[in-house]
Amino acid sequence: MTVLRVDATRGLALCIDCSGARSSVETALVEPVAAGDELLVHAGTAIATATKVQRQ
Amino acid sequence: MRFVDEYRDAELGRVVAGEILAAVEPGRHYKFMEVCGGHTHSIYKYGIDDLLPANVELVHGPGCPVCVIPMGRVDDGIALAHHDGVIFTCFGDMMRVPGSDSSLLDAKAAGADVRMVYSPLDALRIAKQNPHRQVVFFAIGFETTAPSTALTLKRARAERVTNFSCMCSHVTIVPPLRALLESPDLRLDGFIGPGHVSTIVGARPFEFIPADYGKPVVIAGFEPLDILQAISMILRQLEAGRCEVENQYTRVVPYEGNLRALEVMAEVFELRPHFEWRGLGFISHSGLKLSDAYADLDAEQRFPVPGLRVADPKACQCGEVLKGVIKPWECKVFGTACTPERPIGTCMVSSEGACAAYYNFGRFAREREVV
Repeated sequence: MTVLRVDATRGLALCIDCSGARSSVETALVEPVAAGDELLVHAGTAIATATKVQRQ
Repeated sequence: MRFVDEYRDAELGRVVAGEILAAVEPGRHYKFMEVCGGHTHSIYKYGIDDLLPANVELVHGPGCPVCVIPMGRVDDGIALAHHDGVIFTCFGDMMRVPGSDSSLLDAKAAGADVRMVYSPLDALRIAKQNPHRQVVFFAIGFETTAPSTALTLKRARAERVTNFSCMCSHVTIVPPLRALLESPDLRLDGFIGPGHVSTIVGARPFEFIPADYGKPVVIAGFEPLDILQAISMILRQLEAGRCEVENQYTRVVPYEGNLRALEVMAEVFELRPHFEWRGLGFISHSGLKLSDAYADLDAEQRFPVPGLRVADPKACQCGEVLKGVIKPWECKVFGTACTPERPIGTCMVSSEGACAAYYNFGRFAREREVV
């Protein structure tokens, strides 16, 4: 899912998936995230940031 | 979309299929297990097995979270759902899994307050909206889902939500793989490793497979090109006489996993001495329960549950399907008494179940072959 907006205070990000559906995602396990990041989301929680792992 | 479209390129798929064809030894039969139910779903959805040479066989493994939950555990959930004042929450797939007499969906129809949630955080939100009701979350899944449950329990503790609890049925992937490798029923040449579990646990936990059993492992993503490339990488290892853990899914799987997720899990969970798996029986240290520090949020300590062991229906062969001993269509009740609309066994319920995946996609290819 692509991050559209980040609410760092609540540890949440508004994301959009490839079908255009938007949802609020828990980001505690992958912080910090920024708009435009690609997150792997499972059960409402982001478990990896694709862009970050590729850079390593 | 980035990270999706480029992994569904048909032309590249044909190129990798050609590489696979070139790498196989004529006269040798190769048997690879895809551990994860998500891979099984993709294999049938995209017809990947149709692109493979006849001597490369894919065997489905035990990595479908819903499929491995035993009937007794479903009965425990139903008993909890019928408890006075309880709102019972679970993932959608879990609602249709048959218990010994009924499912959670039947319990809902009979008046129990059973609600489907997308995330454990949704269950916590329901608890906050209903302070005078007890809200139980039926937590299932492998290491991919367990961090989400752990974070939710930490939030419940931090926000002092006392009417929320968790019936923990999380499982871990390594112990059943070891059990399968010890099984005399199954001879495998390599493994397509679970991509999303590896996002959390990393590659290291799978090193025992080449080290102790001499089988290659390639951790793979879930798009068609990911799976084809993983098969090609396993074949190249076999061809070169190598045997190691390789990571095809580098775009999300770091070698060490997600350390923050592992830390949260270690705080909230501890291993059960043993846990029952559907079709595989009891496996030591394969299930998670809440740690002592979170025991007050354990639904099984808050409410009485029957905790009985229930044998699978005789007609159901989910156990053999989960162990890769038979193919879905070889089950006696596949597509007749057991369908996604009226499942007898768990493998026909979830989209990651081998039987449901095959029923929804693969059977059409097979029908063409028969004709």
